[in-house]
Amino acid sequence: MPSATVGQTPSLSTYLKSLKHNDIETSIELFISLLKRRQIKNSRPCAIATISLLLRVVGEARTRDAQQLIERIRAVGRRLVAAQPREMAVGNIVRRVLENVREVAERDQDAADGGSEGSTSIPSTPIRGETMRRPAFPTKFSEFSPLHGAATIPQDMHARAPLATSGDSSPAFGGTMEAALQRPPLVSSNTSYAGQGPAASSLFSILQHPQGRSPYATPPTGTQSPALKASPFKGDEGQTSASEKLDIKAEVITSIQDLQKELEEVDDEISEFAQDHIHNNEVILTHTSSQTVQRFLMKAASKKRKFTVFHAEAYPNDHLETHATIVNGGGATAEDADERWKPLTSMGITVILIPDSAVFALMSRINKVILAPHTVLANGSLIAAAGASTIAQAAKTHRVPVVVLSGVFKLSPVYPFDTDELIEYGDPGKVVPFQDGEFMDKVDVVNPVYDFVDAELIDLYITNLGGHAPSYLYRIVADHYRVEDIDLSGKAEGGAVKAG
Amino acid sequence: MSEPTKMPEPVQQVVEPKLSPAELKKRAKAEKQARRAAQKDPQEGPSSAPALATNGVHGEQKIQKQSGPQEQKPKGGQPKGQAQQKQGKPGGQEGKHERTNSIQQSLPIRGQPAPTAPPKELPKKDRKQVELFSHLYTQPRRHDIAGASNNVHPSIVALGFQMSSYEICGSSARCVAMLVAFKEVIQAYTTPREVSLARDLTSRYLSPQIDFLKSCRPISESMGNAIRWLKKLIAEIDPSTPEQEAKDYLCDEVDRFIRERITVTDQAIAALASGLVKDGSVVLTYAKSSIVEKTILQALANGTRFRVIVVDSRPLFEGKNLATSLMHAGLEVEYLPFSGIAHAVKEATLVLLGAHSMLSNGRLQSRVGTAGLAMQAHKADIPVIVCCESVKFSGKVALDSIVLNEVAPSEELLLPKATVSHPLAPDRKDDDDDDNRQVRSLHDWRDIPGLQILNLMYDITPAEYIRMVICEYGNVPPSSVPVVHRLANESM
Repeated sequence: MPSATVGQTPSLSTYLKSLKHNDIETSIELFISLLKRRQIKNSRPCAIATISLLLRVVGEARTRDAQQLIERIRAVGRRLVAAQPREMAVGNIVRRVLENVREVAERDQDAADGGSEGSTSIPSTPIRGETMRRPAFPTKFSEFSPLHGAATIPQDMHARAPLATSGDSSPAFGGTMEAALQRPPLVSSNTSYAGQGPAASSLFSILQHPQGRSPYATPPTGTQSPALKASPFKGDEGQTSASEKLDIKAEVITSIQDLQKELEEVDDEISEFAQDHIHNNEVILTHTSSQTVQRFLMKAASKKRKFTVFHAEAYPNDHLETHATIVNGGGATAEDADERWKPLTSMGITVILIPDSAVFALMSRINKVILAPHTVLANGSLIAAAGASTIAQAAKTHRVPVVVLSGVFKLSPVYPFDTDELIEYGDPGKVVPFQDGEFMDKVDVVNPVYDFVDAELIDLYITNLGGHAPSYLYRIVADHYRVEDIDLSGKAEGGAVKAG
Repeated sequence: MSEPTKMPEPVQQVVEPKLSPAELKKRAKAEKQARRAAQKDPQEGPSSAPALATNGVHGEQKIQKQSGPQEQKPKGGQPKGQAQQKQGKPGGQEGKHERTNSIQQSLPIRGQPAPTAPPKELPKKDRKQVELFSHLYTQPRRHDIAGASNNVHPSIVALGFQMSSYEICGSSARCVAMLVAFKEVIQAYTTPREVSLARDLTSRYLSPQIDFLKSCRPISESMGNAIRWLKKLIAEIDPSTPEQEAKDYLCDEVDRFIRERITVTDQAIAALASGLVKDGSVVLTYAKSSIVEKTILQALANGTRFRVIVVDSRPLFEGKNLATSLMHAGLEVEYLPFSGIAHAVKEATLVLLGAHSMLSNGRLQSRVGTAGLAMQAHKADIPVIVCCESVKFSGKVALDSIVLNEVAPSEELLLPKATVSHPLAPDRKDDDDDDNRQVRSLHDWRDIPGLQILNLMYDITPAEYIRMVICEYGNVPPSSVPVVHRLANESM
C-alpha cells in the first residue's frame, strides 16, 4: 500500500519506530490517536501496528498468569477497537493473540491435568469445552457489532439456550464415537453445527460439573487441533506451576512473533495460488491499489502468463495510490527497499487504467474480477473500497467470476446484521474541494469510503490458507478466534480460566 | 517442430499463387513458428541475413514490417497475431508478383534475425490505444483548423472547438447549437451558377461543415437525425424557388425543428416526468441531463417537496453543474462520487436518467456509468425512468458498450499536475537512473510501455433495467423505442 507520506507525518513506519523507545502506555495512546485521526488506516498497517503493540504489551506484562495476561490484552484491545471500530483488523489481531494465549494456557492446563488426574479443576474443563466449541460462532456474531449498535441478544438468552440444548439433546448425539468418549465437549460442538452454539461456558460448566462426570473422560484425544497435539508440554507433567507460567509468556511472545511473520508473508502466500487462477490471455479487472492483488498478478506475470489488467482507479479516495501503483509499482515512496515492487507494466503486462464508471461497459469482456477487501465478514460477505459493490454486481450480471484475495487477518467474526453501520464516510473535500464554499455549504456532499458486498456476489476467496467458497469462511473464522473473545467489551467470560 | 508444417508451404505458393484468406492465415502461422524457432536458435540468424539482403527492396521492407510485431511482443497475444496476419498478406502478394522469388523469400523468414534497431515511434503510439476499442480511435479530436476544408464557415469552426472542448456538451445542446450554426451557414451560402440550391447546398457546402464537426467530435444521434432531416428538407426544395426565399424557408424550418422537436418537447417531457416526483421522493440522477434538470425544476415549481441525489463521475464532472443549478433553485441536493452508488440507491425512490440516444433494441446509450447506476437501482427495485426526446431515438442496435461508443482523449483522465506530482517532485529530481526507482507520475504514461488509459464516453444500459421511457409521445416501455423512432424520425 503505497502511502503518500510526506515528510514526518505520523504513519505506520514512524509509529513502529516510536514504539521502540516509548513506554507502553504512551504507545497505546499514540496508536489510539493515530487510529482516530486515520493516520494509520487500512487493514494491513493497522494489523501490523496492533501486533507490534501487543508484542510489547505482552513483553512488558509483569504477570505470569495466563488469565491476567488475557485480561491485560483484552483491556488494551478494547481501547484500540473503541478508537476505530471500523478498522476490524485491529480487533482481529487482538483476538488472534488472545486465542494464542488461551491455547498456550490450555496446553499448560492439559499438562498439569495429565500429571495429577485427581486435581482436575473446574476451570480446566470449561476451557477444553471451549476448545471444542470454537465452531460455535454464528450466534455469537449477533452479540458483537463493531459499533455496539447492532441488535443484541440479551446475554441471559445466550446462557439459557445452551443449557436447554445440552440437557435435552446430548443423548441424541450418542451415535458418534467421540460422543461415547466425551460427552460434554461433543454437545457443544454439535450444537454449534446446528448453528446455535452456546456462549456461556462458565455457567455451562458449573452446571455440568456437579453431574459427576469422571475426570478420566476429559482429555480430548482426536478432536483437538494439530497445533495443540503437538504441544511440547505434553510430557512436562511434573513441572512446577511457576516455571510453566514463565514459559507461558515466552511462548505467547513466540506465537505473536509467528503471527507477525504471517502478516509479513501473507501476500507471498496468497500469490502462490496465482498460477492456479490466472491463465494466458486473460482479461482481469481490479480495483484500488492493493498490495495483495498486485503481488498476485506479479506472480502470475512472472510465470510467463500474459494477461491484460483493467484497473479501476477508485476515485476519490484511493485514486492517487492507484495511479502511483500502476505507474511506479508498490512502495515507491517507502524508504524500505523490501517494500517496493515493480509495476506490472514492467513485466510486459498491459495495464489499462479506467475510471470507475467504465466498469459496467467493460465487464462483458472481462474474464475475472479480482478484489481486495478491507474486511471479510464471517458470512462470506465483505467490506471493500467504495465502488466494489458496483463492480461485483456488474460481474454477477455478466457472469464473471469474482475472486477475493484476503489474508486471514482480514477475516472478522462480525456478522453483518446492519450493513450500514459498517460503512465509513470519508472526507467530502476529496469529492469537491472546500474552495467551493457555496457548493460545500448548500449541497450535501457525501463520500462513502467502503462498500458492502454480499457473499452471493463473490465466487471465490483466496486466503493464505488456500481457496475457499464464501460459505466456508465461517469455519476459518472459527478456527482462528475463540467464542469468548468475539466480544472484547465483555469481561465475564474471560474469567473462567482463573475461576478455580 | 516447425519443419513439417512449413515445408509444403513454399511449394503451395508456387503452384497456387492466389492465396485464399485461410491459406494466408496458415502461412502467417507458419511464419510465426519459424520466427520462434529463429529466436530459440540465434546462430541461425546471421547466416540467413545475406540471403535476405539479396531480396533487395522487398527484403528490407520485410525487416521493417516484421520488426513491428516483434517489438510488440510483450504486449500480449492478440495484437501480435493481428500484426502478423497483416504481415503475412504482403508476403502473399509478393508471391503473386514474383513467383520465381517466392521460395527464396520464404526461406529467410525461417532464420529471421531479431531486429537490432526496431523503429520505435509507430508501435509505441499503437500501444496507447486499447486493443478492444481500436475501431473507435479514428482520429484525434481536432483542436485547430489545420488541414480543414477552406469553405468551413467560421461559426461551424467555433462550434466545432466548443464541442471538442466540451463547452457545448450533451446530445440536445449539441444538436441545437449545430442547427443554429447551420442557419448562419445557410444564410452565407450563395448558389453557384448552373446548379440548383437543392442539389448543391447539401453536397458541396453542408458536407464539409458536417465533416469538420465530425472531426472535432463524433456527432451524436440527435445531430445525425437533425442532419438527415435537413438534407431531406433541402432535397425537397423546388429548384425554381428563388435563392433567398429558399434560404429563409430553410431557416424557418430549422427554427421550427428546434422549437418542436426540442424546446417544446422538453417542456412536455418535463411536465410528464415531474408528475412522477411525489412529495417525499428522493430523485437519483447521474451526471447532467438538461431534460432531467428541467424535470426536477418543473417538479419543484409544481410545489412538490423532494430531495435530489446527484451521482457524478470523472473526468467531466457534469453532475456538479447540475447540483449547482439545483442548489441555486433551492433544492435539497446530495452529491456523491461514482463510487458512492451503493450508498445512493439505498435512499433513492426514483431514478431519472437522460439519454445520449435510445437504441432500437430498447437499450439506452448514455454517459458512461449510467449502466452501473441503472443496474444498482434495478437490483434495489427502484424504478429507472429515462427522459428522452424522440430526436435522440436511433435506428441502431447494440448489445454491448464496445462497438458503439466514443473514446475521449486519455489525457482528460489525468489529474491536474500540481496536486499529483507535488509530493513526488523532489524524488524526480534526485534519482534519474532506473536503479534508484524513478518516481513517475501518471502524466508520464506515454513513456511507460504497456500502460494505457481508457476514457470511454458512453455505455449501453440493458433494456431490462429501464422501467419506462418518457418522450413527447408519452410514456413508453423501452421495447417501443423502434416504433417511436419510425414515427418520429423516419416519417418526417
